[in-house]
Amino acid sequence: MKIMSDNSEISFSNFGVYDLDDQMELTLPNTMIKFNRISENAFSYYRENSEGKIVEKIIPVKSSDVKIELAPIRPLNYPARRTNHLFLQFDKEIYLSENSAASIFVNCPIEIGIFLVHDSNYDSLDWVTCDPLNSRFGLYGSPDTGTLCKYAKVSMANDYDDSDPYVEAVMQIVVENTMSFGQSISKVVFPITDNSLYYQNSKAIIDGLKITMKKRAAVNIADVQTTSLETDWSASPTWEDKTASTHMEMGLE
Amino acid sequence: MILEFLQSLSEMQIVGELTVLSLLIGGVIMAGGVIIAKIAKLLFHKYYAPSLPKDTAQNISKLIYFGILIISFLGFTSSQGIDLSGIMVAGGIFAVVIGFATQSVVSNLISGLFLIVEKPAKHGDTIELPDMGISGTLLDIGTFSSKVRRFDGTVTRIPNEKFFTSNIRSLTLSTVRRADATVGISYQSEIDDAILVMKNEILQTMPFVLQIPEPEFRIEELGDSSVNIHVYVWHPRDDWSNAQPILLNTLKRALDKSGIEIPFPQRVIWTGKD
Repeated sequence: MKIMSDNSEISFSNFGVYDLDDQMELTLPNTMIKFNRISENAFSYYRENSEGKIVEKIIPVKSSDVKIELAPIRPLNYPARRTNHLFLQFDKEIYLSENSAASIFVNCPIEIGIFLVHDSNYDSLDWVTCDPLNSRFGLYGSPDTGTLCKYAKVSMANDYDDSDPYVEAVMQIVVENTMSFGQSISKVVFPITDNSLYYQNSKAIIDGLKITMKKRAAVNIADVQTTSLETDWSASPTWEDKTASTHMEMGLE
Repeated sequence: MILEFLQSLSEMQIVGELTVLSLLIGGVIMAGGVIIAKIAKLLFHKYYAPSLPKDTAQNISKLIYFGILIISFLGFTSSQGIDLSGIMVAGGIFAVVIGFATQSVVSNLISGLFLIVEKPAKHGDTIELPDMGISGTLLDIGTFSSKVRRFDGTVTRIPNEKFFTSNIRSLTLSTVRRADATVGISYQSEIDDAILVMKNEILQTMPFVLQIPEPEFRIEELGDSSVNIHVYVWHPRDDWSNAQPILLNTLKRALDKSGIEIPFPQRVIWTGKD
């Protein structure tokens, strides 16, 4: 059940659910993933990226009905999970005159999660990034009190289909200026953990943001809220980093 | 038989009304208290401590352990018929005497309490004590002393008084930290070109270096043989090892790739005949 995109020279595997048979290969930009059955109840997992980094795992399974889901996930894992915040720097400033609103689409970076699907449970198996060079950190605020964020310089998109497959998801941002003077907006910083992702073939979209620029007492603030998408695209499972909370205990029970 | 044995023990007086039997009961109470304290501490460490911050878990664990021990001790004294009010009066005088005799011990104890209340650093923080030349991970703030595991794996015990009164540099309190290095380029090289290639190499090959604030380049010195450029980069506080140790290597690689010379110290000598 391997589906290939047909508009590129190298055929990459689309996002979606794949039946795990005796052998399976998934190809992504700069990344190769292989599954092999090594016994009746176990598979081997092999992943290699463009830097030559190899990840290998053994996956024991209970039932023979095992599937793999390839889905876009939030861009928080590469090079290491340090924050839940995303810092989007727009390549062009948006100017809003007094009491006006605008709706824009931006290309938001993504990573790709590999999930093990069995008995309608989703286990987070691995993740990859197809654009490691643009997966970096940035600081919003001062070094002592600022917020560490994943940083990306993003461009505007025309609609939900206008994104680089496997690398970006399109996000709609609605900006409203309720103040009595014009205001420019060049960046947005928000916790991305509330934003769900959706996919169709090789494209991805993400829950949007509503930014309201308003005056609170003597301070001008931008109130950022997540807006849920209503779409028929498939929803991505949530990636969970289970290694971080595992407590290893040695001794007698 | 057993009753007779216990009866005989109760008749064996040691001092005043203190009998072997009451001492035995007291011993059982104390031993029971120690065992219960250890079990309570173990259960707390097993089921609750992993979900708490390490320093909080350690303080609660000590509170549980010593709390049960104190209750056991009170049980022990009441089983012996000891009147604590007399001890309190005598204890006050005794405490003054002991206080003078063990000033440093008391000072360490009080400093330990202040350290726990003030929390200049918490368990697991990476700290530096410049006055003592010690840097490492804070393992524990104990009753009398604190323990720091140095980066070479050895553990240093520091009396709480010294720890409390010394300058403490916390390396993990801020969100980000800065790494820096100095590199020299030849006088023939274009400074702007050198900065550009170094900046590009850092941003491309060092994923833990922050894009905002950008790497910063300052001309530090027009030296004897080279123009010295000081480079500053910011990184997440826990990723020092992914930035500082490889920064100089990255800078050299960038300059080598673009053919910019890193000069050796050189001296032109003119003789009298020339």
